[in-house]
Amino acid sequence: MTVGGLAVGLKSTPTRRGKRLSPMVYLIIAVGALVVVSAVRTLSDATDLTSSGTVQAALTAAVPLAMASLAGLWAERAGVVNIGLEGMMVLGTFGAGYAGYQWGPWAGIVGGLLFGVIGGLLHAVATVTFGVDHIISGVAINLLAPGAALFLSKQFFSNAPGGGQKQSPRIEDAQKVTLPGFSSWLGTIENKHWFFVSDLAGVLRGITTEISLLTLLAVVLIAATGWVLWRTPFGLRLRSCGESPAAAESLGVNVYKYKYYAVIASGGFAGLGGAMLAVSSGQFRDGQTGGRGFIGLAAMIFGNWRPGGLATGAGLFGYTDAMALRGSNAVHALLLLLGIALIVVAVLQYRSGQIVLSGVAAAIGVLFGWWYFSSDQVPAELVGAAPYVVTLLVLGLASQRLRPPRFVGEPYRRGQAI
Amino acid sequence: MAVGLVLTACGSKNDSGSGGTSTGASGSQAPTSNLKIGLAYDIGGRGDQSFNDSAARGLDKAKSELGFSIKELEATAGETDAQKEDRLRQLAEGGYNPIVAVGFAYATALEKTAKDYPDIKFAIIDSVDPAADNVANLTFAEQEGSYLVGVAAALKTKTNNVGFIGGVNVPLIQKFEVGFTAGVKAVKPDATVQAKYLTQPPDFTGFNDPAKGETAAKGMFDAGADIVYAAAGGSGAGVFKTAKANGKLGIGVDSDQYNLPSLADVKDVILTSMIKEVDVAVYDFITSVKDNKFAKGNKVYDLKAGGIDYATSGGKLDDIKAKIDDYKAKIISGEIKVPSTK
Repeated sequence: MTVGGLAVGLKSTPTRRGKRLSPMVYLIIAVGALVVVSAVRTLSDATDLTSSGTVQAALTAAVPLAMASLAGLWAERAGVVNIGLEGMMVLGTFGAGYAGYQWGPWAGIVGGLLFGVIGGLLHAVATVTFGVDHIISGVAINLLAPGAALFLSKQFFSNAPGGGQKQSPRIEDAQKVTLPGFSSWLGTIENKHWFFVSDLAGVLRGITTEISLLTLLAVVLIAATGWVLWRTPFGLRLRSCGESPAAAESLGVNVYKYKYYAVIASGGFAGLGGAMLAVSSGQFRDGQTGGRGFIGLAAMIFGNWRPGGLATGAGLFGYTDAMALRGSNAVHALLLLLGIALIVVAVLQYRSGQIVLSGVAAAIGVLFGWWYFSSDQVPAELVGAAPYVVTLLVLGLASQRLRPPRFVGEPYRRGQAI
Repeated sequence: MAVGLVLTACGSKNDSGSGGTSTGASGSQAPTSNLKIGLAYDIGGRGDQSFNDSAARGLDKAKSELGFSIKELEATAGETDAQKEDRLRQLAEGGYNPIVAVGFAYATALEKTAKDYPDIKFAIIDSVDPAADNVANLTFAEQEGSYLVGVAAALKTKTNNVGFIGGVNVPLIQKFEVGFTAGVKAVKPDATVQAKYLTQPPDFTGFNDPAKGETAAKGMFDAGADIVYAAAGGSGAGVFKTAKANGKLGIGVDSDQYNLPSLADVKDVILTSMIKEVDVAVYDFITSVKDNKFAKGNKVYDLKAGGIDYATSGGKLDDIKAKIDDYKAKIISGEIKVPSTK
């Protein structure tokens, strides 16, 4: 899960840009990262770094973020910035609360999706039809959605059994599945705390035990998005609207229509993210999204506007978030891990000729290492900041290679020359 | 709704700017027999099933028994002190007297407002600041109630390992942790107490994020705890949910959470709750103003005054209730002094 930073760094020399790494290389990177993590785990005795509980918590935390960043991907690939993700997620949490408590979790998921679509439609009308600045429309949705959700929740939940003015009645959780027979056997190995083997067992156990069907749905949707946007004519046209709408239009693509599709899908995915959050935490609550829409946007940028990348980004955020919530001992070990990762980045950057960047990475890496060895724990005030520090570092060091869709954020009027 | 509130708050800024202190006297013209009560909520507001709702209950009781007219204003997440000040001024300008500010977050705003309206009686919950002639500071000895549920947790734990989850790492919530830890250690000095805060100020979402409560509690259960005390407002629902999924126990906060309808399906894992009678404090304050017996300064609602207690609903404490009451009596008599800071 921490592979992301390394993977981005590894796409090294400019001549190889755009060339895809083979699955074998990814596997080697993953194994290498796990070796490093397990070395840190052995050294620091922070078993939570690779425990199955952490992996499970990371997955649960990552799923709404991944949905939000997928939502961002759909909109931005068609050239529309969607900063209203947070608001659309809030609408999704309400939709899930309303449908979920009456007709079960899966109805809640559909309800959240539909409410998100309403938000997406609003954004599409404003930005595509009326050419409103994308940021302004998004911010308006972020302001409007929590108020609308609160109003609706007062209307519908105040007198519902077990509900309140700011929360829905309980929603049943979605089913969880466990790979039978596998889990307890892995658990035995995990508890031996052997180098690498136990860590691998912990990770495998985490992703095969008590996995919510919602998590599986999220994985399917990420893969499906990749296929639709990069392997179908529809996806090609949609992405062309984000790269060069004038050129696309000259070739007969109805740019407005594709932008509408994209932004509505974006709202749907954001609503889905909110719905997954509400269903997995058992109810709608006013303000429960807590900025996850914005973090999803950051995960998308981290992932270089690609499904695999954003999944890695969401996973990384989920992992550090889980870590921060599960014990500061593990966060302390994270310092060392971060230090090592930065040194690796420094070496890779140096090899590809980025001397300055390499120096900066090395210096920060050494600083983290020094911090680790000179302290016993991270102050509680900083533990919660761990996810954001990791992001800033990764974005700062990797953003040289990021390439957003060329025409993203620009208003486009039909018939406009470039 | 949030937008509406912001707009009204902005509007009032102009009013109070032009009015200044000269209109401050208007509040005192209202005869005490016909009080208009103003109440400003903390984030979460009416309907949070916790702290704010408790204040609302006190207000509702005063309204139905004494027939006052009331005005309630809610806070929005991430607002500034200036917005809080505007809210209090809006109530003061509207002739509301007395005015109750729910939550320590109002301390700075109230200090400025109270000065400008010397004839209006204010109360602030959970804060000893500001000290002024027209301000009553209603605080609670949460550490004493937390001590008692700590005793209960220590007597009930089978793994000798219990947990504390605070919503936001602020001094008020630290009081809960300190009292809880002291209670556990009083019974079992060798027991482990894990402590975790969901967010750090100024991020107050930790009171409202069940998903985070669930993750933190799961971490504690994985690390060997079998009872977790959730002083985390709405996030507590996530703690109880994961307690139920893992066959462990949780302890509630602020009200008797065993009896809350919204927690009905997890109530069998709620061992007890630390009860904080905010409604009693609000009601007492309103009647004191009505009877012209307003007292300025700090009034502490502790075990002795009946403002703090522990819940026995569900019958999980029946076998150890006598022991807990023993500690309770000792705290009331002063034999045990419960610390409130680390």
